Amino acid sequence: MKCKHIKVKFPDFLIGELEDISKKEIQEHVSTCISCREELESLSEIWTKLGVLPQEQPSDSLRSRFYGMLDAYKQGLEQEKELPRVHKLRGGWLTHWWPRQPAFQFAFSLTLLLAGLTAGYFLNLNGKKVYEMASLRQEVQGMRQTLAISLLEQSSPTERLRGVGLSYRMEKPNKKIIQSLLDTLNNDPNVNVRLAAVDALYLFHENPTVKEGLIQSLSRQTSPLIQVSLIDLMVNMRERRAIESLKQLIQDEKLNPDVKNHAEQGIQQLTY
Amino acid sequence: MNSTTDNQLMEEVKEGKVERLAILFERHQVPLYNFFLRLTGNRGTSEDLVQDVFFRILKYRPTYRGESKFTVWMYQIARNTHIDHLRKRKKEVPLEEQWEEASSREPGPSESVEQLQDIALLRQALAKLPLKKREVLVLSRFQNLKYKEIAELFDCHIGTVKAHVHRATKELGKIYFELSGGMVS
Repeated sequence: MKCKHIKVKFPDFLIGELEDISKKEIQEHVSTCISCREELESLSEIWTKLGVLPQEQPSDSLRSRFYGMLDAYKQGLEQEKELPRVHKLRGGWLTHWWPRQPAFQFAFSLTLLLAGLTAGYFLNLNGKKVYEMASLRQEVQGMRQTLAISLLEQSSPTERLRGVGLSYRMEKPNKKIIQSLLDTLNNDPNVNVRLAAVDALYLFHENPTVKEGLIQSLSRQTSPLIQVSLIDLMVNMRERRAIESLKQLIQDEKLNPDVKNHAEQGIQQLTY
Repeated sequence: MNSTTDNQLMEEVKEGKVERLAILFERHQVPLYNFFLRLTGNRGTSEDLVQDVFFRILKYRPTYRGESKFTVWMYQIARNTHIDHLRKRKKEVPLEEQWEEASSREPGPSESVEQLQDIALLRQALAKLPLKKREVLVLSRFQNLKYKEIAELFDCHIGTVKAHVHRATKELGKIYFELSGGMVS
């Protein structure tokens, strides 16, 4: 009975947390009880021996891994903090708009999505893209016109031909280029340049200024080649106002017979 | 050492100042690493487990109650972490074989070959102890936990802990004696 009472105190004896009275009690007992003394001795021995087990140091990677994990966790927390703000926003004005039925919610979302896509499509189409294309085209046109005009004013016929050629490629030539072409047609000393101008102006015959200019130009021309090509142009334009000009042309006694013949045919075609 | 107690720091971590965990890590990483090393006998595993413990501390920080010592709570998590680890690697390498790596290392300047053999023997003996006895012994002998705190940790009576320590020490002595060929000096 005494032994059991003493042995209970052994664990406290091992860690050195015994009051002096208990310690003395144990010492007195083991001095007489061999079994308890042997047990206490072997316990103390292995307990003390455990002290040789060294405390080891973990590798540096443990520390870096820990701080990496801590940083990642902190980042995660900060991102979580951002979320409640969105909820708060939704809880405010959006609750008035947001339907409660999931089906309606779905429909509402789908409508919003479609509206967004449509708006985006048209904005893109009518807005930026088209605007960019138009401005780009305008820029090119402007450059071509400036170049064409400057070429038409060159002394070299080849350059002037190039100028006429350039004006072919214009969709909507401005007044300036039309006037330059008409001037070329009426005043250019080179027949080839004047012929090219006729062809170029034919492309823009829908323009009233062009039409008027071509009719008036007929009486000014002296070259049979230009006269013939202008007569053909009038016929093709189905321009009845040209009949008067053609009749005047026929009156000219100096007129080339071939041209006269051509003009008479033209009058006939335009009359019927 | 910083005068702020572990419990105060943990309260701060719980309230969201998670960066304060760094101080707790610096204070406890080495003892915790050695706790796992004495349970598992494997350095890499022990480091993994320490990392896991601190991750769990972050994860479960809202459940922290400042009533008991921080270390008690920490070792509770450590024990669970270790048990989960054992479940995962059941039927793998027997524990006592894992210490070979440690016993084969070069002796330090203060260590004799005899001492190294002694260390290896003790580790083998410790590895042969049943887990619960090993835990109790390591916690009381190396981790500076009081019997009262271990009782709290194991959720049992203090007398039970003392009885465990008594039996575990006795058994360890016996195993050690057998391993050393009955030639204990």
